[in-house]
Amino acid sequence: MSPLTKGVAAMKKTLFALATAALVIVFAPPAGSQGQISKAQLPVLTISAGQSNDANTVNAVLEEAGILYDYCDVPTVEMLNAGVGLAGKKSAEGFHVESYTDTAKYPKGTPYKTVIIAIGASLKGMGASGLTVDAEEARVRKIIDACKKKKIFLIAVHPGGEAGRGPSGSDNERMIDAVAPFADFLIVTKDSNKDGRFTKVAALTKAPLIQVDYALGMVDILKKVFI
Amino acid sequence: MTRERWIKSILAVLAVLLMLAGGLPLARHRHAQVPVVAGPGVTNVIKLSEFLPALRGTMADTNVYVLEGQEPGGKVLVMANTHANEPAGLLAALIMIENAVVEKGTLYMIPEFNASAGRNTKPGDGYPLYFDIPTEWGHKRFRMGNRDASPLEQWPDPDVYIHYPDRQSLSFNDVRNTNRTWPGRPDGPRMEQVTFAAMELMRKNKVNIAIDMHGAETMFPVTNCIVAPIKSSKIATLVSMTVKAMEGFDNHVEPSPQNFRGLSHREIGDFSDTLPFLLEAPIPFLDQPTGPKTTQLLLDGKDAFLLSLSKKKKLFVPYDENGWPMEKRVGQHCSVTLEILKQYSKKNPETAVRVRGVPKYADLVKNGVGHYFHDPSKAEKKSVFYE
Repeated sequence: MSPLTKGVAAMKKTLFALATAALVIVFAPPAGSQGQISKAQLPVLTISAGQSNDANTVNAVLEEAGILYDYCDVPTVEMLNAGVGLAGKKSAEGFHVESYTDTAKYPKGTPYKTVIIAIGASLKGMGASGLTVDAEEARVRKIIDACKKKKIFLIAVHPGGEAGRGPSGSDNERMIDAVAPFADFLIVTKDSNKDGRFTKVAALTKAPLIQVDYALGMVDILKKVFI
Repeated sequence: MTRERWIKSILAVLAVLLMLAGGLPLARHRHAQVPVVAGPGVTNVIKLSEFLPALRGTMADTNVYVLEGQEPGGKVLVMANTHANEPAGLLAALIMIENAVVEKGTLYMIPEFNASAGRNTKPGDGYPLYFDIPTEWGHKRFRMGNRDASPLEQWPDPDVYIHYPDRQSLSFNDVRNTNRTWPGRPDGPRMEQVTFAAMELMRKNKVNIAIDMHGAETMFPVTNCIVAPIKSSKIATLVSMTVKAMEGFDNHVEPSPQNFRGLSHREIGDFSDTLPFLLEAPIPFLDQPTGPKTTQLLLDGKDAFLLSLSKKKKLFVPYDENGWPMEKRVGQHCSVTLEILKQYSKKNPETAVRVRGVPKYADLVKNGVGHYFHDPSKAEKKSVFYE
């Protein structure tokens, strides 16, 4: 082969490789992109990281989606480990428990397969539960460690929008730091992710990220998650 | 007469003239009447004193408009002007009275809940005495009220208001604030009697939902929201999510703090089976760092100082050069109220409440508040009531 022919062949190979790379970059979905809905299993426990009303938002969304769940705003690791029914604990001042899991399918004590964490800080909510921000952060980290040990699927949800964010180091951001990097799946509103915070977390952890326009949009997402 | 006597006499006359110049407008304001044209849905108008006779004949007694549907169903109490310097709720309530038709259930509407506050004002803060809403038939004039009842109805104030029944210490003037005197008592100070009477209305009629419409500053985090205790929070959350997604205005839920006593969203739920919801829409007029407190500011919410603060992210609402006009605030209240009824009725079909004829947020923003008020001069006399 003449040098000219070799050069043309090499150039063709290079051009082909560049074109292929371009196609891959354009068409291959990056980790954590819109559209990748993870699957999760029941029974599910919903909890709060920060004690804002966002936990109620998650519960309301699950109800609209027809998914039965257990909920506690400040569960201990023992309650998590006790499984469905949360060891029979009852609501009291500053402590809220609800149990709607279908016990015909998942009898009391069945280990949770999924935990949904609603991220959003409220000093009012934390105060009502007798918690400081530091105590809440420590409590949430313990729960997440326990979930990881038991290989429970963690879904982090941030429905609060821009109001649920703040400057670096603020209560809201501390809760995001405590939860988002450990989530197996992230669902946020576009408003919550205006600065790309959750996109960056998802890119690092490779967890799928779904963004919705409004919290109500999470109903359809969660219906597909828990098939 | 000596020179000194002349001066004293002239000064005395000047003082009287000043008192008259200042006092006569206040007296006129106190006795000014706002006509309300009861709409096709109003089946009865009673007085709050029916639930506590001690209120009869006092300025604290107030109209309760009953809208009873053909089909029995749930019962709803809607209150406005608990704070009479937050008039978006009053306007929303009057729009409902003049237009709503109840198909199922019953509405009890109290547009001037703190009737005394509605006849009080805050001249020291430069409040206007009245504001006008343009309508298709002219201007409809409303009194601008104050947050608290007038000392003419209830005096003196204690040094510290000890809340009944849990004895929490509140600010002295909160004894005249009907959002601090719940649940009230029949032999307490006048405003406690007002809230007691409302509790009796709810208990005797087995009211399912109570909605209390308010306005809050843009610099206050508890604005653009529904404040709800735990028992109302699921419905409140669904309402908030739905109006945000489907009607395009901001709303969130604030939990009712268990340790802050006297408020409707706390005590109504604690002392009855009724589900309480307190609605807040932004009212730039009440923010501290604004320009003069003019009727224009009250109506359109536009203020250069607030705009500057908004750019510095000091406000809790998305505020721009369009301000926060009355149409938006009234629209928010109407839409949130309707959505509360809808979400409650979905979960409680036996005690559902179905209402038609009430405009929603988009309608009010498009048509204006005045579009929904009827001309009292053209209405039948028996349909015209006065607030």
